[in-house]
Amino acid sequence: MTEGYDLIVAGAGPAGANAAIAAVEQGLSVALIDEADAAGGQVYRRPRVAREARGAGAEAGWRGHDGAAGEELRLRLARSGVVFHASRRIASVSGRFRVDVVGPRGHDALEAPYLIAATGAYERVIPFPGWTTPGVTGLAAATILIESEGMLPGRRVAVVGLGPLLAAVAARIVESGGEVAVVADLASRSDWVKAAWRLTAERPMLIDGWAWLKVIRRARIPVLHRTGVRRVEGERSVRRLVVGPVGADGAPVPGPHAAFDVDAVVVGHGLVPSGDIPRLLGADLRHDPAGGGWCTLVDGEGRTTLRGLYAVGDGARIAGARLAPLTGRLAGLAVAREIGMISAERFATLAGDTQAEIARLRPVAAAMARLMILKPGLVDGITGGTIVCRCEDIPRSEIDKAIDEGALSLNALKHFTRCGMGPCQGRMCGESVAELLARRSGRSRESLGIWTPRPPLRPIAIDELIGTFSYADIPIPPPSAL
Amino acid sequence: MRAYDLAVIGGGVHGASAALFAARAGLKVVLIERGALCREASGVNAGTLTIQVTRLALLPHAIGGHQMWATARDWLGHDVGVVVTDGLQLAFSKAEAALLEERTARRREAGAPLRLVTAKEARAIEPGLSESVLLASHSATDGFAAPYLAGRAFRRALIETGVAVFEGVYAEGIDRQGAAYAIRLSELSGERVIAATRLVLAGGAWIEEMLGWLGLAVPIAVKINQVAVTERLRPVMRSQIGIASGLLSLRQYPNGTVVIGGGWQGRGDRQKGAHEIEPANLIGNVRLACHAIPALRSGRIVRSWAGIEGKTADELPIIGRLPGHENAWAVGGLHSGFTCGPYVGRELARLITGAESNMPLFPPDRLVARAVR
Amino acid sequence: MKERDTLRIAGTRRGGRTVIIVDGRPAAAHEGEMLAAALLAAGIRELRPSPTERTPRGAFCYMGVCQECAVEVDGVRRQACMVRVTPRMSVVLGGGFKT
Repeated sequence: MTEGYDLIVAGAGPAGANAAIAAVEQGLSVALIDEADAAGGQVYRRPRVAREARGAGAEAGWRGHDGAAGEELRLRLARSGVVFHASRRIASVSGRFRVDVVGPRGHDALEAPYLIAATGAYERVIPFPGWTTPGVTGLAAATILIESEGMLPGRRVAVVGLGPLLAAVAARIVESGGEVAVVADLASRSDWVKAAWRLTAERPMLIDGWAWLKVIRRARIPVLHRTGVRRVEGERSVRRLVVGPVGADGAPVPGPHAAFDVDAVVVGHGLVPSGDIPRLLGADLRHDPAGGGWCTLVDGEGRTTLRGLYAVGDGARIAGARLAPLTGRLAGLAVAREIGMISAERFATLAGDTQAEIARLRPVAAAMARLMILKPGLVDGITGGTIVCRCEDIPRSEIDKAIDEGALSLNALKHFTRCGMGPCQGRMCGESVAELLARRSGRSRESLGIWTPRPPLRPIAIDELIGTFSYADIPIPPPSAL
Repeated sequence: MRAYDLAVIGGGVHGASAALFAARAGLKVVLIERGALCREASGVNAGTLTIQVTRLALLPHAIGGHQMWATARDWLGHDVGVVVTDGLQLAFSKAEAALLEERTARRREAGAPLRLVTAKEARAIEPGLSESVLLASHSATDGFAAPYLAGRAFRRALIETGVAVFEGVYAEGIDRQGAAYAIRLSELSGERVIAATRLVLAGGAWIEEMLGWLGLAVPIAVKINQVAVTERLRPVMRSQIGIASGLLSLRQYPNGTVVIGGGWQGRGDRQKGAHEIEPANLIGNVRLACHAIPALRSGRIVRSWAGIEGKTADELPIIGRLPGHENAWAVGGLHSGFTCGPYVGRELARLITGAESNMPLFPPDRLVARAVR
Repeated sequence: MKERDTLRIAGTRRGGRTVIIVDGRPAAAHEGEMLAAALLAAGIRELRPSPTERTPRGAFCYMGVCQECAVEVDGVRRQACMVRVTPRMSVVLGGGFKT
């Protein structure tokens, strides 16, 4: 079935949901799509469990607000008149614009002259020996397990990588009654001091950070700075983590190692914008490490270089959960103005506060994003035998060999090795592979481009795509001449 | 100016094969490809190796090409994932059965080793087949390759044979210099022009632009052929499957992935490439695939893409000498070009080096609309 | 059974206890919880072998991206992180391949 709207919003996180609500409030008909069964994205993911009393963190006020913000968002959305297509995956985006969605309820085609891509971010994890062992998971994964499922990632957990999520996850594990064996942070103490200084403009962030550190200190968890993973041991499941010192760029440097007996390692090396839709439709992107990697080029209101297409939130550029609702709302209003539902004056009135708040938060967001910039030494440090492409079991040595043999574009590298051809479509290995190629060939990430984007955005069940049909209804084209 | 005995422009399977065999025959060869070898239709097609869908006039090329792919390890020396297996073209309706009977008979007359089989026989050959098959044609030696491997395989073979391979280099035009050709290149360390006494234009869908360099206007339409691939699945089929009308091509690779093609149309052009999947056609194609092999339903599609195929006015290819040129040849606009490619390239190399060849030619003269200059 | 439940955080209200069938064997779970989480809590971390090296793999991103947790649920391939537990749900591990 084909449904027509004024606007389609892809992704129901804080950016997308607020975009949809802002537009519907101005009288547009809006469809909002998400593969999850409830709005909120990853950061305001709907909890599946009800938590009782909280510990020290709750006293400090950090735990409650994400949950409350999520509930408030879902309530506003439910009352808004936005048509929410939950549990639907995007099978393809084509034309100007047709979005084919697929889920347990089957396939539908949505059409609208405007499309806002709010597809969020995913986690960057640079490979290390043992990272494919069951029990190694992302930092965001640990957050989801704890907050949404009331589940610890392991009984004794190591928290490693970089960025603000490290402290957040370690504190959440402790608060939930779990044990954290070690926090190994690639950043130095002074990196954090510098960032904290920049974050003074945004008190809630500092309050969060302070509360996390208090929990970690009280639990006497060793926090090792300038420290990276040397390897994870364990045949069928994580048994031990070995860490060692790293330089400022994340590359291993000589020094004493330390080992921790753990049954889970949670790791994250920053966030990457999920710019699938702008890429698929051919809007312009730019590689900017400070924005998380490939960022969609947008104007102040979220307009991409492609007519009718907007990109907002972390999916356009890593800027965090505080900016996401604002950039979303602004784009929703901008579409309403572009479509002629509101005048330029009305837009200025409605958007003024949002624009001011965006301007105020930009430097804070930039400081946060800077904490998660890819550390190139991590890529240099990938050992030859380490699997880089998890889907296809491709180790670094094979990638290096293909580059040396003349695979000098990402697409050629894919064809030479199959890396990026598996079900994740290069989302897990893409950053590492592109960085390996850039560093070995001496070319810039910008000049190497991106793997040619292909639909579907994520794997889709054939059963759900094709539904029930009769043979006579398949529009088989006539045979060609003999 | 560097000088070569032969310049091949276009690094798909046709151009790469012509360059390879010409170099093996002793010519000094340069191959110029604006992207990477075998990255357009030659690398993104569905990998079908069949003698059951090609046009009758191209049957010798398909049979020859099939034989070469099957022995690729011997002459190419590198893996392109070829599996030779049974091929079935299916009929699900009475009209399709009639079409199949007629076409199979004519292909048999032309020398194709095919036979018609009952639904029961077809299911014995392919246990994954659905109950709704009425009739099938069978080839014991169809098969498939993994086209994405072609680029790496040809690249290795060409370099081992001493062919100068220029990738990422655009030819911008060609000037006749007496009996030779001067080829202007977009960028090349040192020289921007190279010379060759012989020329092969192997432009596939882009042959129109290439012929234009020599003042020949041959309009080429494009087809944008969609393909989809599943994630790895448990074994659900073992043969190469098509349907009577030709609009399905389906097989499971040894790694478990199933590639679904058959020429359902996407969107694109020669300038922008095959840039968009037509969702209704993806669904139609996948429905047809599941109608043939029901177990596919339990899998997931991980990726779809499209490639560009050129089509001449009479839907027959260009394979032959350019009018007014003793030493310039062109190849392009083939349907089932992947299957035919190595044979066409090898035979072109024979003709260029003065050897005998039985390959039927399709000279472009018939298609020249007008001289552009 | 007690030991296995130690990953579920105390003091949380969740869906009713139920049983799912994993490779023919019952495993305890709670209705409505993420299948990948239920498997983790049941001590089932190995969800499939990797395609060529056949090394064990388990859920990694828990947010629909990595595809490491793809299992067969009631006969259809699904990501365990995108599926909610229902009573007696049948799960086949291996992602189409046996270890």
